[in-house]
Amino acid sequence: MLFNSLEFFIFLPIVFGLYWLIGGKRIKAQNLLVAIASYVFYGWWDWRFLSLILFSSLVDYSIGLALGKNEKPITRKILLWISICVNLGFLGFFKYYNFFVDSLIDSFTFFGSELSINTLNIILPVGISFYTFQTLSYTIDVYNKKLEPTKDFVGFMAFVSFFPQLVAGPIERATNLLPQFSVERKFDYRNAVDGLRQVLWGLFKKIVIADNCAKYANIIFNNHTEYNGSTLLLGAFFFAFQIYGDFSGYSDIAIGVSRLFGFDLKRNFAFPYFSRDIAEFWRRWHISLSTWFRDYLYIPLGGSRGGLKMKIRNTFIIFIVSGFWHGANWTFIIWGALNALYFLPLLLAKKNRVNTDLVAEGKYFPSLKEFGQIAFTFFITLIAWVFFRADSVAHAFSYLQNMFTLSLFSEIEVFPTTILALLLLFIATEWLGRSGEYAIEKIDFMKKPIRWAFYILLIVLMFSFTGEEQQFIYFQF
Amino acid sequence: MKKFLKQFALGLLAFIVVNAIIAGIYEYPTYKSVQNKTNRNYLKWEAIHNNENTFDLIIIGTSRCYASFNPSIIDSVLNTNSYNMATSAQDIAETYYSLQEIFEYQKPKYVVLDMFFEASDETYDYYQTFSNSSFFNSTERKFNLINEGYGNTGLLNYSIPIVKFKNYIKQDMAGLFSNNKSLRKEDIWIKGYLYDPITVSDAQISNFEPIANFETSSFSKDRFNTYFNKIKELISSNNAKLICVRTAYPPTRLELTESDDEATYFKAYLAKENVPFFDLNDFKSDKYIYSDQDFADYHHPNYKGAKKASLQLIEALKQIEN
Repeated sequence: MLFNSLEFFIFLPIVFGLYWLIGGKRIKAQNLLVAIASYVFYGWWDWRFLSLILFSSLVDYSIGLALGKNEKPITRKILLWISICVNLGFLGFFKYYNFFVDSLIDSFTFFGSELSINTLNIILPVGISFYTFQTLSYTIDVYNKKLEPTKDFVGFMAFVSFFPQLVAGPIERATNLLPQFSVERKFDYRNAVDGLRQVLWGLFKKIVIADNCAKYANIIFNNHTEYNGSTLLLGAFFFAFQIYGDFSGYSDIAIGVSRLFGFDLKRNFAFPYFSRDIAEFWRRWHISLSTWFRDYLYIPLGGSRGGLKMKIRNTFIIFIVSGFWHGANWTFIIWGALNALYFLPLLLAKKNRVNTDLVAEGKYFPSLKEFGQIAFTFFITLIAWVFFRADSVAHAFSYLQNMFTLSLFSEIEVFPTTILALLLLFIATEWLGRSGEYAIEKIDFMKKPIRWAFYILLIVLMFSFTGEEQQFIYFQF
Repeated sequence: MKKFLKQFALGLLAFIVVNAIIAGIYEYPTYKSVQNKTNRNYLKWEAIHNNENTFDLIIIGTSRCYASFNPSIIDSVLNTNSYNMATSAQDIAETYYSLQEIFEYQKPKYVVLDMFFEASDETYDYYQTFSNSSFFNSTERKFNLINEGYGNTGLLNYSIPIVKFKNYIKQDMAGLFSNNKSLRKEDIWIKGYLYDPITVSDAQISNFEPIANFETSSFSKDRFNTYFNKIKELISSNNAKLICVRTAYPPTRLELTESDDEATYFKAYLAKENVPFFDLNDFKSDKYIYSDQDFADYHHPNYKGAKKASLQLIEALKQIEN
């Protein structure tokens, strides 16, 4: 079920009504309702894959219990590896099997021999990368004794399949979300209103910004040889806002909907395009994934504590794995490697934590230096996005080759004025609201009629600028 | 919770008010034009409803069709009484239900149907669709078009003005950022045909794009197939003959088009269905040579193009008669 679909607008009020009718004190019944609703939500897409979520929940729940009862290091390690193998096994099969087979065949062909392995026609279960990482975080945290294993299976099922964030995150840590399933949820007016507002902003980002940018990004990327450099740069710009609007929009809706049910999810985006360097960008982009990799991969590998070689190795590992997490394609791996290359000089010069504060705090405009830093960071991010969006590595290189010509300074051939005006409105709103959790969080300072007029404007824009329906990009991950 | 529900109800009320305002803004001109008897779709349906069993040739399709065929030219040569029932952005489902309504009042011998990818796609201009069906006398047919033709989305769009008029709101908002606020003189309509004196500009020609193909259009083979068969059956059960045409495109666009999927698909499909098909882009092309200046824009013929198209249709009908 898509957040921007009619089905969801019927589904949500029904679940919301039933949930609060049950009441916050009947925690188990509420958890059961959340679990059933989540399975309906997911099954709407393809009910066959519900078995995967159920199996994954059963495995990690049982391993969690076993870890709780067992103190022997070797047994605990075996249990942990069973969980890792089962979860990553599913992920590997559904997401990466064909990629590995194709790459293996290509390698053999490169060295002059032939290998005959058939690829399979595999459907990628929506959101598998998200819920796999969520359940893994539970087992790893229980293994590391950061979390007590839960004995409430229904609560655990609800945690794994929690519908607002099931298919595209934020990837919640068991330490944050799971305990919320065992305490009484109280309806809080301010929280619910804020949640609805965040949902509205998320829908605006998805429907108006992402879907309309997608239209032009697709035209330019699919016909890149026909356009000049400046138009190709604009194409990359459109894609940058497509992916941002799409993914951060989904996160906003997920967080907002969760608030309606009394749950507090982690922030996933913090205005990444206002970052002054790439390290800051990665602290602000897909926060739940980057912190997951930081805590469960980078730090166990030694992080930045070791020597130069270790720092370089770990940086490349984390970025390449992060790229690979997005999809089984060399374009994602190069995207990750490119970001590692951007990040490494800052890490080696120990300047990766220079920009940790809010840019131009309390000011309307950034300083010239800050503006230059933001523009440069955004530009190098655009280059990386070309790899992320391209169909193949050759496509990406050809795109960049055509972009970096003298025609980069010629007149733009595709110039959708209305969409660019909307983007300008969007960027201005995000800039003015950058001190909040999301852009319009602190809109309360406005007088009620103005605030409501703004909401109505957003709604009218949403209905009027509905692009050709684009599924959320991150569903495929 | 009470406070939240109250606020939510207020929000819904505001939404209803906004919709009422939008409906007022966009429906009012239609209401006025119906009152003043100047609304083109209203006048078309008035002609059908008030002149029972008069028309023996009905031409139907999208705006490409109403800009192409001039009934007065056709009638002067063939001694027919034809009427052009094509309307803006007419979807194939709308064509089917419109023909149902037409057959209730008329007994045409021929129905000329325009073949156009965009008439059978999944994106509809709901306002155009509903403004046309609004003039059906049969309420049941009106409901069937909305419900069966467009499903739940159709019903939703019919009931929510903000969705129904979204293309118009978008257009008006885009107008805020554009300097191209050209005013169109009052249109001249002849038996449902639009006499268009405008000629496409050189600047427009330089921006021409290839004709939409399977990749660049959202043409739905299933939707086309379903409604085409219904149309064929309906026409045959009313003892009329179906003739399919594909109206002309500016030659520059044809030159830009590498693979003309629209022509290839309809030619093969209609040959299989045994329905006569005339592609005006190449029918008697030695005699009827189109130039870009025969068009008002990228795909609507002006009066010069319409004269050629009407004469081609006359030849096609003669060919069928023989």
